[in-house]
Formats: sequence, C-alpha cells, structure tokens
Amino acid sequence: MNANEAPIESVQHDAQPIRSQARVLANEPDGHGWRLRLAVPHWPGSIPGQFVMVGAGPETAAPRRDPLLPRPMAIYRERGPLRTADEADVELLYRVVGRGTALLAASTPGDRISIVGPLGRGFRVEPGAGPALLVGGGTGIASLYELARALVACGRRVSVLLGARGEPDLTGRADLQALQGVELICATEDGSVGFHGRVSEPLEACLDRDAVGATVFAVGPTPMMRVCAELAEAKGVPCVVSLENPMACGFGVCLGCAAPRRAGGFSLVCRAGPVFDAREIAWEGLP
Amino acid sequence: MSAESGSALEVDESVELAGIPLRNAVLTASGTFGYGTEFAPFLDLEKIGGFVAKSLTLEPRFGNPPPRIGETPSGMLNAISIENVGVRAFLEEKVPALPEGAVVIASAFGTAPEQYAELVGQVSEHPRIAGVEINASCPHVKAGGIEFGQDPRLLAELVSTVRAATRGPLLVKLSPNVTGIAEMAKVCEAEGADGLSLINAVQAMEVDVESRRPVLSNVLGGLSGPAIRPIALRMVWQASRAVKIPVCGIGGITDADDAVKFLLCGASAVQVGTTNYLDPGAAERIAHGLADYARRHGFDRVRDLTGALETGGSSSLGG
Repeated sequence: MNANEAPIESVQHDAQPIRSQARVLANEPDGHGWRLRLAVPHWPGSIPGQFVMVGAGPETAAPRRDPLLPRPMAIYRERGPLRTADEADVELLYRVVGRGTALLAASTPGDRISIVGPLGRGFRVEPGAGPALLVGGGTGIASLYELARALVACGRRVSVLLGARGEPDLTGRADLQALQGVELICATEDGSVGFHGRVSEPLEACLDRDAVGATVFAVGPTPMMRVCAELAEAKGVPCVVSLENPMACGFGVCLGCAAPRRAGGFSLVCRAGPVFDAREIAWEGLP
Repeated sequence: MSAESGSALEVDESVELAGIPLRNAVLTASGTFGYGTEFAPFLDLEKIGGFVAKSLTLEPRFGNPPPRIGETPSGMLNAISIENVGVRAFLEEKVPALPEGAVVIASAFGTAPEQYAELVGQVSEHPRIAGVEINASCPHVKAGGIEFGQDPRLLAELVSTVRAATRGPLLVKLSPNVTGIAEMAKVCEAEGADGLSLINAVQAMEVDVESRRPVLSNVLGGLSGPAIRPIALRMVWQASRAVKIPVCGIGGITDADDAVKFLLCGASAVQVGTTNYLDPGAAERIAHGLADYARRHGFDRVRDLTGALETGGSSSLGG
C-alpha cells in the first residue's frame, strides 16, 4: 500500500449511545494508573476503539457543577452481561492528571458515575496475512486490549508494543501478556522493563523484520503517534491512530475536539474519529 | 390555588415566546445542541419546548484551530467561531431529518446587517422554522458579532434591517459584554424585535502556567456554564423590567430550580446550554422538574411564574 491508496476508514458501530448512571464495581490503582470497573445498565456493547464520556467524579445529590465537564476515556475491556442481567462490566484505565480524575480516583464500589457512550468510530478489524503492530503509550494502552483480542480472533498475527517512562506506567501490561496469540514488547525510557528507549525503536525493528501486509495501530501521546505514522509511511505501511483531543460532549455538538486535516479544514475527533488513518491528520496543527 | 392541592393539580406547561407557542418553557441554546438530531439517542425533541440550532452563516464555515475549549471553575471556555454547515445544508439536510413535532428556531450570524437579513429571509420562509434568533453577541469573532451587540447604534441598525426581511418571530440574542443591558434591550424592542434571548457567553480567558500560553488558540473565548448563572440572572432581571417583549433566560442552567429562578426574574422561557454536553437529556429532565415545581407550589400555569419574584422588604435587588 502506498500513500496514494484510499485511507483506511474507521467503523461506525450500529448501536446508539446511552446515558447511564453506572455503578462502581471496583476502582483500584495499577502502577501509576487506575482501573475503574463499572456495571452499566442497558449497555449496548461497543466496538474496539470506541470511548465513553465519564463524569468527573461520583454523582452526588446535586447536579455536578465543578469540575463541570465529563472526561473522554477509551473502553479498555467489556464483559457482560453480568448476573444482575442487562448490565455489562465496562472497564476503563485512567491516570490522575487533575482535579476531575483525582475525584474519580476517590470513588468507591457502589458509587454512581455518569457515563455517555459508546461514542465515536472504532478500528477496522480485518483478516490479513501481514502482522498487526499495535503501539500504545500512556493511557493510549487502554484502546489496545479489545483491538488485540478482535484481531487475534480474525486470525491476524498481533504484536503489542507498549512504551512508557518506567514499569509502573505500563498499566494493563499483565492483561495483554495473558492474551493468547499476542506478542508483547515493552520499551521503557528508564530501562526498567524491555527495551531501554522509546517504543518507536522496537516498532522500527518489527517493520524492518516484516513489513509486507503489516498495519500499524498507534494510540498514545501525539508525538508518539506522529513518529509511528512517519515510520509507517516511510515503509509504505498503513497506520491508524486514535486521537485524544479534549472534548466537552463526545457526540458532535461542542465542536471542541476539532483536529486539522491534511486536506484542509477540521474533523471532529468524537464523530469522525477518534480512529483515523494517520495520513488524514495534519500533525503540525495538533496542540 | 394552594400548595396543598399537590399532585392532583393539572399544570398547564405551555408558554409563548415571541409569538411562538411552546409546549413547555424549556428550550436548548444555540451552539450547544448541534442541529438537534445529535440528541435523538438521549431525549425526545417533541417533549422539550424547542431548540435553537447552531448559528448559521450564508456559506459553510470552518472554525478556529485547536485548542478551542478549556475548563474553568464551574464552567467552560470556548472559541469555536461559528463553525457551521451553512444555511443551505441546514434547510435541505438537517431540518428534514427532525421529528415533525420538534420546534426549531434558527440562529443567524453575519458580519454585516445585509448578510443577516438575507439569511433570515431564507430561513424564515421555511415551514419548519418556528422563528429566528439573531446572534448579535458572539464574543469571539473579530469581524462580526460583538460589535453589533455592544454598540446600541449598530444593534439598532442590525435589528431594523433584519426586521424588514421577515414578518416571522424574531428574537435577538444579547451579549452580556456591555455596561447597560437594559439599554440594549430597549433598542431591540424599539426596532421591532419580538423577544430577547440572554445571555450569550461572557468574554473571558484562561492561561496554562506550564506552557505560559493562553488555553485557547484564539486567546479570548466565551465563558459558559454555572459560573455565569448569577450574572445571567441579574441581566434577565434588568432587561425584562426594561421592555414589554418576552425574554428567554440563558446562562448556566443545570436543573429545574435554576430554570425557576430565571422565570421568577422575568423570563418567559429558558434555554439550557452547556449542561447539554454533560447531560444530553437535561432539557427534558428540567422541563419535567419545572412542571413539578409549579405543581408543588400551587401554580396551575407555568407561565404564571414569569416575574413572580417576591421582592417585598428587599432593597438590594433593585436594578
């Protein structure tokens, strides 16, 4: 595939999103990250790459006013239905980066948290002879678990490459390690696990080894995704990314999450994405 | 009429705004509700009073580069800059996709009075458009908006030009970024507006100390959400006392109590804005809550709440 071929289109889920008061099943630290498991009534199911908008802390008797806005978070895993019927177990990974996520970290089992989802368009999961190279950094790791599972299920060879500062930043690593049929490669900047360096190095090695029919899926900080996209483009390999722009609504009305397109104009990350063919993004215009 | 009559009381929820009959007093605000269809999974458009669609320009328009939004205490800051599909796509694609009973108010934006007039002329002819709200107050487009809403002469010229282009219901959405809101309200009334919507976002800015940069690419933006509600309430109070045309209250409404406050201060209806982002079903919930409030307090018509503020013994409220 070369740069002139049609972009890889993200996939529209056929289920409508819901707004729900989810019940906290568990909320525990995992390294420097947190894992939040929610029991979500009437959950319509999601496809890999979709996200939810999560209230910035547990619900109280009064409407939430401060912090006001919900936070977009990738759906890490979903299992369901639960015994209590009509409820799914939806798991999210997050980091405490500000007041909203600090409030979320203080929530305990039984608390109610408002969520809206599933939202956005997901990854196209297709059989193929070449390897699927999934690159994750930061909370971007959360987008890769269900994707890896779906790719394995359709017969793809799957390598997951995780990049982080150090071992405690690799939230979710054990789950990915436990996935059958997935090769897990880690890279840490402090050398505590795997390659000593950035995740782009093992990605380049994988592409040098076997680029024929490969697809790169990159989710993480913008500079990481941009490097992955450039490596892939240099090798003539398609690259799909999932953007993490701030947004207020998640369903196409606040227009806050606009990402500049190479072809000009903007795409809304929440509606046209968050999954995009990397060639559609004007990286230099992303903050 | 007494509080004790309780749940048996049948409450008349209907109100009228600028000559538009509404099934209830809760609408949604322009720029926070897309073109309506985005909310279909979350609420019934036929159960809210109506909605004001995203502001339109004659041609489709892209907005500002990111970052376009930021969070502030009990509020958010935005500088989108009237990104919209243009009036033609709105009438041909967006409006026909709406359920029949949805009450649609179009919002018009332009950089010259003649542009507003042309646009208003086009939309107000459409049988599905119940009325038009002119956005005279967008606080972050350098070439337009703010100048009309901040200068009484420009505002008068704008309203009279648009008035000549339509006989349909005409609302003017006012900017809060003025010294005297009553004067602006009177100007609109004198030039033939049928109603006023207020307030639009409050001009504001925020800074990121790590990068030492403004949070928004546009530097300045509009503050919305609960943070501005007391400012909005004050302005609705002052404007509604200055004019006879109906006022639609906007600014940080998150629940039915907030809506009641605006009605008591003189609003005939309200628009829910930023809350739609975090709770896309909010407007329907607030409409139910408003009827409940009326029932609990012995009002058999919601419209009787308008201006029913008790001010006896208080001197600090005077405008």
